[in-house]
Amino acid sequence: MFHRKWPGVAAGVALALLGPLVLSACGGPVGSSSTLTLGVITPATTFEAPNMNWGNESLYNQAVYDSLLQVSPTGVIEPHLATAWSYNAAKTVLTMTLRTGVTFTDGTPFNASVAAQNLEAFHKGTSNNASFLINLASAAAVSPTTLVIRLKQPDPAFLTYLAQAAGSQESPKAWKSPTAATVPVGSGPYELDTKATVVGSSYVFTANPNYWDKPEQHYSKIVMNVYTTATTVLDAIEGGQVNAANTFDDTTIPQIQNAGFTVYPLQLNWAGLSLFDRNGTMSGPLGKVQVRQAINMAFDRAALLKDMSEGFGSVTSQVFPTSSPGYQKSLDSYYSFDPAKARQLLAAAGYPHGFTLDMPSISAAFGAATYALIQAELAAIGIKVNYTDYQGAQIFTAIFAPKYPALYFTLEEDPVPWQLAQFLLTKNATFNPFHSTNSTVAGYLTTMQTGSSAQAAAAAKALNQYLVQNAWFAPFFRPQSSFVADSHTSVTVQAGNAVPYLWNIEPKP
Amino acid sequence: MSEAAVTGVLAPDVTSEIRAARSHLARRFLKNPLGIAALSVLVLIVLAAICAPLLTSYNPNGVSVLSILQGPGAGHLLGTDGAGRDVWSRLLFGGRYTLAGALLATVVAAVLGIAGGLVAGYYGKWFESAASWVTTLLMALPGIVVLLAARAVLGPSLWTVMIIFGVLLVPAFYRLVYAAVSGVRNELFVDAARVSGVSDLRIITRHILTVVRAPIILQASIVFGIAIAVQVGLDFLGFGDQSIPTWGNMLNDGFTNLYRDPQLVVWPGLAVVITGVALTLFANALRDELEQSARPRRRRAAVVMAAAARAAGPVRPENDTVVHEEASSSAPAPLLLHIEGLAVGYPQADGSVTRVVDNVSLDIRRGEVHGLVGESGSGKTQTAWSVLRLLPAGGEILEGSILLDGEDLSRVDSAKMREIRGGRIAYIPQEPMSNLDPSFTIGTQLTEPMRTKLGVSKTEAKARALKLLGQVGIPNPERTFASYPHELSGGMAQRVLIAGAVSCEPDLVIADEPTTALDVTIQAEILDLLRELQRELGVTILIVTHNFGVVADLCDRVSVMQKGRIVETGSTRSLFADPQHPYTRSLFDAILDESPARGSYAEVRS
Amino acid sequence: MLTFTVRRLLYGVLLLFVIVTLAYLLLYAAAGNVGRTILGPTATQATVTLKNQQLGLNSPLISRYFSWLGHALSGNFGSSWFTNQPVSTAIVTRLQVTLTLVFGAVIVSAVLSAVLGVWAALRGGWVDRIIQVFSVLGFAVPGFLIAVFLVRIFALQLHWFKPTGYVQMTYYFGGWVRTVTLPVIALSIGLVAGVAQQVRSSVIDALRQDWVRTLRSRGISERSVLFKHVLRNAGGPALSVLALSFVGLLGGAVIIEQVFGIPGLGQVAVLATSEGDVPLVMGLVVAIGVIVILVNLTIDLLQGFLNPKARIS
Repeated sequence: MFHRKWPGVAAGVALALLGPLVLSACGGPVGSSSTLTLGVITPATTFEAPNMNWGNESLYNQAVYDSLLQVSPTGVIEPHLATAWSYNAAKTVLTMTLRTGVTFTDGTPFNASVAAQNLEAFHKGTSNNASFLINLASAAAVSPTTLVIRLKQPDPAFLTYLAQAAGSQESPKAWKSPTAATVPVGSGPYELDTKATVVGSSYVFTANPNYWDKPEQHYSKIVMNVYTTATTVLDAIEGGQVNAANTFDDTTIPQIQNAGFTVYPLQLNWAGLSLFDRNGTMSGPLGKVQVRQAINMAFDRAALLKDMSEGFGSVTSQVFPTSSPGYQKSLDSYYSFDPAKARQLLAAAGYPHGFTLDMPSISAAFGAATYALIQAELAAIGIKVNYTDYQGAQIFTAIFAPKYPALYFTLEEDPVPWQLAQFLLTKNATFNPFHSTNSTVAGYLTTMQTGSSAQAAAAAKALNQYLVQNAWFAPFFRPQSSFVADSHTSVTVQAGNAVPYLWNIEPKP
Repeated sequence: MSEAAVTGVLAPDVTSEIRAARSHLARRFLKNPLGIAALSVLVLIVLAAICAPLLTSYNPNGVSVLSILQGPGAGHLLGTDGAGRDVWSRLLFGGRYTLAGALLATVVAAVLGIAGGLVAGYYGKWFESAASWVTTLLMALPGIVVLLAARAVLGPSLWTVMIIFGVLLVPAFYRLVYAAVSGVRNELFVDAARVSGVSDLRIITRHILTVVRAPIILQASIVFGIAIAVQVGLDFLGFGDQSIPTWGNMLNDGFTNLYRDPQLVVWPGLAVVITGVALTLFANALRDELEQSARPRRRRAAVVMAAAARAAGPVRPENDTVVHEEASSSAPAPLLLHIEGLAVGYPQADGSVTRVVDNVSLDIRRGEVHGLVGESGSGKTQTAWSVLRLLPAGGEILEGSILLDGEDLSRVDSAKMREIRGGRIAYIPQEPMSNLDPSFTIGTQLTEPMRTKLGVSKTEAKARALKLLGQVGIPNPERTFASYPHELSGGMAQRVLIAGAVSCEPDLVIADEPTTALDVTIQAEILDLLRELQRELGVTILIVTHNFGVVADLCDRVSVMQKGRIVETGSTRSLFADPQHPYTRSLFDAILDESPARGSYAEVRS
Repeated sequence: MLTFTVRRLLYGVLLLFVIVTLAYLLLYAAAGNVGRTILGPTATQATVTLKNQQLGLNSPLISRYFSWLGHALSGNFGSSWFTNQPVSTAIVTRLQVTLTLVFGAVIVSAVLSAVLGVWAALRGGWVDRIIQVFSVLGFAVPGFLIAVFLVRIFALQLHWFKPTGYVQMTYYFGGWVRTVTLPVIALSIGLVAGVAQQVRSSVIDALRQDWVRTLRSRGISERSVLFKHVLRNAGGPALSVLALSFVGLLGGAVIIEQVFGIPGLGQVAVLATSEGDVPLVMGLVVAIGVIVILVNLTIDLLQGFLNPKARIS
């Protein structure tokens, strides 16, 4: 009596389950030419232009905002909302001519006064790049189309900054709204569809019908889905749920390629040790250049590249990227793997039995294996590493205190030398917690800041050479970052940025 | 059925079987093959973890830049992981940490929970209210979220996380122990112990802890399994302490490298699954054995029945029933029930069949009240049940026929039998309280069969039910209709059952000791009721009883059963006047006679 | 019944208050340098300090707590420090998703357990054994292992279901089924394992009761005996198990949502606790607390319905 009922029940259940499957089987592949679905790895921290971040979040910004300038994939500054610009002789006054006829989606017209307000707001804001405008003294509208920016000192990277978040333009009226952080009001190619968007998880943009730069508007709808692990990105790719995506790491590159996606490799960062305490304030040994050089020789870079980055990337001993004027190919292989010589150097420096080195670690980000490998390589030349593990960003509070003389990290390599210098090398750079400098370095930096482009380039090269020879850092390799896209989408990557710029992602005909 | 009566009737060698049914839990558990296998696997795993240094020479944290992601073989039994560490070594040492961590959580939960339960259960009052409040709080918190938050504050240390998890699991032990203690606390023997000066502590350890020992072990094994699962889950998410080897960390590393070396996830995955399966089987086996011992009465009853049947010895084939011939004064009423050569038995595991009813023949005429008399174990109830085809699990009609108006009930199909039940044959059970479904109102239980069998509407069925309730003498039928069984007294419940039995107008009513479970005064009322119903409705009644008083009061004819066979049958008058079978005579002799009570109290002269 | 419900609700509110206060204190201790966490390594210390100030992290704990409490009581839970989304919106949208998963799992488990438990109890023999084996495996294998296995086979090999994401049910029912089926199965398996065994033993117990024989003697259909009477009586213990498992289901959802990339409460919980997003975590604590209290109350009421003896009159 009991089992006789089963066939009926089973059939009913089967129908209920399969029905929707049949329904959803109809429908084309994700992203016909009118919709682009992107996989991104971080949500938008905020949509308020004065507080927006760049890097992995640049796509959000570029969808809804225009910036004053744009940068070509190879780094050439191009006009956008600003049509012309010029510096004075001292390079401290920048005069910009602005485009007319551009309106924000709330009807507010774009003009020099608005631009000045945006710059001031960004300068005082909480973007992680707020310090880019550190040299901004004032911005003023001389006429509706003329903007005059005064700098405290020359800043060779300033024009690049104006092509990023610092130069983004939002209607100032939007800042008064309580929903300013989640509802952007820009003049950009798309508008945020707040109804379809699930903040933190899926952002939907629809084409701005009044956009003034139509050639850069390639889709009628863009969906940006946030994925939080490499596995879910791969699953989405294999499941045909995205047209293009950013990736977390290279562990799944072969699988992504198998799914028919093209991999667009980039080298954005360098991985290795930052030997902050070049003056020996906290760690006496690190103050000696031979010790720092010895450390550079302790690492089998090729093996580390294979272990830590699956072989994707290239070994290096310099912190300048290939696209930078300061880059020199020979410096990639300046230090070779030579533990014996390293020990000799240590002995010569007065440490025949090695020494103890305290470093912070962040296993949650890089994995305990990475730190174990570094510890093992250094132990082989007699340096005993003591780690203190941190979770999350508490590590930076400690680093910037400064609490540690050295650190393993993956840091960005900016193609613009002055940007890199302001990040790593100047006396008050964020990642120079011990404020190390000397007259040689200072001299090069001054030329980079105030010289002509040819002089600045030469100075950058010389500085690079100096840094490598004096082992300010112990870089291992430049890991490969990969942006991937399907066969319907063509992509041109952007030097120095984790993701391509939005207008360089187009449907393939 | 008291034990004393049973032992009195049966041969002494059977009592040992009863004692065996109560044998030691541990010994019984050891006989459970699945439980033993599971326990052995667990012991093996623990041993492997403890002896890790003996089983591998590799340092579990020993990275090697040059030999990452190697497959099994060539010096590494299971290969190496993403940092060149030996997998086998990490599996063993990881076992240490994983198991030790889970053990820590379990111990913390057990110690706090048992102590709390003992104190709260024994001393009660404010401690108990506070503790129960804390318990509810702990149970309301989703473990993983709390652990994530705690980790953010206190860091990823395995031990801290497991201690906190242990605290979260305290309710599992607390409630168990508290229930046991508060149940036992008020027992008279505890008071007695206290009065005789036994200290509280001694009472607690001796009496109470011994009772909850096994359930605590059971709970501990479950908690241990949960602790492992949570730990592995947290590590898998990447929130564990990455500097020590654990199975969860191995899984995390394996998944990161899933595409480069898929077999890395297999070993820790297997370790977790096998441990989990072993724990579950161990807990299941323990629970099964516990439940066996928790229902001794049933088990003993089954044992006793089987034992009784076996002790009865081989059944004699001759038919030595004494039949009192009746002088028929008028034309006899038509035969309603004719049982011929009925044999009922229970097939045993060893292939033999234990017969509880053998070669029983019985005639019941329409309108008759027939008594079926015998001691416990005589097979009378079994006979009654076989007429209804409602024998307990394992019982079968072996031989014979049961003709109801010519239709052989032992051979009809189940659909037909269902029609007959309730409609043509009804049943009044012995113990009223346990024969009503506790989850439904009296009204539902009365009306449902009427609607099914008579096809009447709900309102019509309710009207009929109310009328019936009135007829059986229930003072407030409306209220009883809406009541639940546990709200009724024994007498009222029995009336309800009688009402239910006659509700579909059956031809034959089988009443199984309908008054045995009731007070003496109520007994008389019920018997009156039965007599009245029989007169009014004209039903035929087969009444099973061990009480000759009931027979004398109600029955027209009577059959006496002994050890599954009918030894004497005849009209009540005739049998009472002149019992002939020795067994019948012994039954009559056992009834208290009318001799005077003992003499007056004589004072002792000192 | 009404006083019982009201009393339990008040009790629940008190409990919630205690949980919320404890959580806030915990988070305060954990917060650390949130500004730095939000802005990342490249921001200067000046920007970080400004951010911390904007977030109100420089005021004393007590004033921050009461400020939060005051706002919360009027329904304002602030905005996430990391995505700036209003917490109430974030919780509500994500709550729907997680509750869909959890209640889906509860319903699937209840139905499957009832079916399997009754089948095992009635049939015995090899059917019973097989169901026991599945129960043990379902109980012993961690949910996320099952989840990953399901994704690999059913989503990526066979393409029957979607491997990640979540589609609203009202938006596109077919898509919803495809995204929700595997996670619900992964969540249910452990639960079915436990509850089916409970149903089985309760059904076996119930079938041994005297009233079953008496019911049968009344001639009602076997189907009614089983599914109306026996199951109703067997439901009580099974419901207890289900209730106790509910809180565990919420925890399981955390891991499952990670594996399937589902934007539910679990995903937010992981992120928020690891980043120290205080407004969001506090919103989560309140949401989860309320859910658990309501569910426990519902289960208690259900128990009363199933078991008349347990009712408070």
